[in-house]
Amino acid sequence: MRAVQGVDLDVFPGEIHALCGENGAGKTTLASIAAGKLKASGGTVIARGVVGLVHQHFELVDRLRVWENVVLGHEPQRGATLDREAARERVNRLSKEYGLAVDPDAVIETLPVGIAQRVELLRELARDPAVLILDEPTAVLAPVEIDALFATVRALAARGTAVLIITHKLQEVVSHTSRITVMRAGKVVARLATADTNVDAIARAMVGGELPELAARRETIPAPVFSMHEISAGESSLAVRSAALEVRGGEIVGIAGVEGNGQSALADAIAGVLPYTGSMELDGTPIPPGNPGARIAQGIRAIPQDRRREALVLPWSVIDNITLGDQRRPSLRKGGTLDRPAARELARTIVERFDVRTPSLNASVSALSGGNQQKVVVGRALAHNPRLLLAYQPTRGIDVGAAALVQSRLIEARNAGVAVLLISFELDEVLALSDRVIVMYRGAIVGTFERDAIDRARIGALMAGAGLAGVAS
Amino acid sequence: MIRALGVALALAAIAALAMIVAGANPIVGFFALFRGALGGPNQIAETLVQTTSLLFPSLAVAFAFRAGLFNIGAEGQLIIGGLVAGLIGARLNVPGALAIPVILVAGAFGGALWGSTAGVLRARFGGNEVIATLMLNIVAALLANYLVVGPLHSPGATGAETAQLPESSWLPTLLADTRLTIALPIAILLAFALRFVFDRTIFGYELRAAGDAPEAARRAGINLARTAFVAMALSGAMAGLGGATIVTGVLHRFNVALSPGYGFIAIAVALVGDLDPLRIIVAAFAFGILQSGSLTMQAYAHVPKDVVTFVEGLAIVALAARRFVAERAKTSPA
Repeated sequence: MRAVQGVDLDVFPGEIHALCGENGAGKTTLASIAAGKLKASGGTVIARGVVGLVHQHFELVDRLRVWENVVLGHEPQRGATLDREAARERVNRLSKEYGLAVDPDAVIETLPVGIAQRVELLRELARDPAVLILDEPTAVLAPVEIDALFATVRALAARGTAVLIITHKLQEVVSHTSRITVMRAGKVVARLATADTNVDAIARAMVGGELPELAARRETIPAPVFSMHEISAGESSLAVRSAALEVRGGEIVGIAGVEGNGQSALADAIAGVLPYTGSMELDGTPIPPGNPGARIAQGIRAIPQDRRREALVLPWSVIDNITLGDQRRPSLRKGGTLDRPAARELARTIVERFDVRTPSLNASVSALSGGNQQKVVVGRALAHNPRLLLAYQPTRGIDVGAAALVQSRLIEARNAGVAVLLISFELDEVLALSDRVIVMYRGAIVGTFERDAIDRARIGALMAGAGLAGVAS
Repeated sequence: MIRALGVALALAAIAALAMIVAGANPIVGFFALFRGALGGPNQIAETLVQTTSLLFPSLAVAFAFRAGLFNIGAEGQLIIGGLVAGLIGARLNVPGALAIPVILVAGAFGGALWGSTAGVLRARFGGNEVIATLMLNIVAALLANYLVVGPLHSPGATGAETAQLPESSWLPTLLADTRLTIALPIAILLAFALRFVFDRTIFGYELRAAGDAPEAARRAGINLARTAFVAMALSGAMAGLGGATIVTGVLHRFNVALSPGYGFIAIAVALVGDLDPLRIIVAAFAFGILQSGSLTMQAYAHVPKDVVTFVEGLAIVALAARRFVAERAKTSPA
């Protein structure tokens, strides 16, 4: 199967054009072909000049300085040596010209992601591109940074650059672009003028049908389940510092924040795989530190952020993956041996209830799509009546149908009295699912909002660091 | 199985080339090789002896490998197992019926101790087991030599070996006037036992999880450090048991030269057998043929025995490369 098939796409000078589609629709492949990083097996690419590409995962040399990264590949030379002054000067000039403030002497790995992205953008702008492609440029940015990025992009377009933005955030598409191309399964399925369309229509084109509905929330009477106090864990800029929070049974607490603000350390501390200071309690009893197995037995289950590495044994069958973590549970063992029939029965139930599309229960999970792999992970986490469910980016990189199913199961777990702690970098997801929203910034909890008091603008500001002055909601 | 046949044919072709380079007629060479290995009951028995001696360390390597540990120290563990068996067998007069079990268990224990040394280094300090086990091979060989020549020298012994074991502690033979003993069924039983452990037990499940996806295993409550320690100890025990069966069944004494590199060839055997205990039995037999036929080949066809060593080395490189390429294909982005 081809990632991209028979796609035609025109982007005009001065235009901001959106390329939308679900994961795996072929957007990034198309961008790589346009920028000359991948060779197409057929067709032509015509560009009136250089095509610049800003990657979703930055392609910067972490150990080098900003100016070194920007001039890499076309360094100014004085004789046989690098002309540092000229290089630094060039970066300063570009930075001023495009309003992208950055210290040319900073080392990349010390920079926050928003700034690192500016460097990546500067590097491409240094080549004076006629076409600029941005692949998911806002995935790692706080709302304020997103506004700044689009200001830059609009300025570029005003100078006559053709801009192509790849994104799945439809609100941005509607607010900032003029035309939209929608891809599905490697093909173009819709070409829309932004003025004549809306978010729903674009989403329907992406999915190829109606959007699945989420499960209804039921009134619940929350009871205390999980609490943590003064939790600190992790290192340097990715650490979580003195965080306290409480999740009651029958509620979803959502943590809003830009990636890299301590969410990972927090999740790993709760899962028992990262040492921490502070204390945690489940149903009033202290949780002993550093033992993931004991936590599972107590009913603390996790949907880890990296399902392929942290959640699944890829070469193993669906059955064997579904019992992972529960291999010592009395219902799944016979003395020291595995109870195969019981495992098969459990797998059958989960595959059915979570609509896992798999050729068979014995098929290796590596053969499943990301969405179906995630359904296995979520199904396993919910299979044994957990007390606390820790869901880290539970819908990352999966298609809309699978995402809606996963989100519905989280709501149903909540309705059934499970305490759900949701960590997501998609603010929309946090707002749609949570009974309470907690904002994390630089490892600290900087704001808490009950569902009926959610203030999107305020949350966005806190995510970008506006709470540092000590303002609490 | 077809793939295994393909690999075998390719290796045979290379071996033929090597024989030509060595100035011999490959047809004569192969004929001598197979006649030496399978030409009669005695030859077959000797091939099975080699098979047995390869099977123990091969299962040891496979066991560690399944737990994600590259134990290339089976050679050292085998030597220590043999040493302990030889010293106990020759020095302590273990009475009658108990002698054989005690000596075998002692040998396994010695190997376990040697293997778990690397396990401790890995579990406690995150030390690389490849380097640790490799180095411990050298330590084992030198230690064995020192002990049997020096402080624990046996009065009757000539050279770097212990005195002969009393006949009561010799393994019973399966075929009169051959060196084929009950060590073969013990090894085959061990292979079946391992298959059961991998497929059916919680212990085996956790071991494989730790090997196939350590981070997922850790998050599933599997203690990686403990698993590494136990896997290395048991792996060492299997290799040590192999050394003990060579001492009690083949040589009837410990000699520092008891292994022509079984522990290293075992790596190839384990990989050819795809780390599956039952297929490893077949692979060990194939390598047993090479081992026992190569001397005949040298004597009658004037093909240097090194041709076999050369082909075995190639097999290791090829199989290691295949695994490496497979890993790369798995991790490269779609």
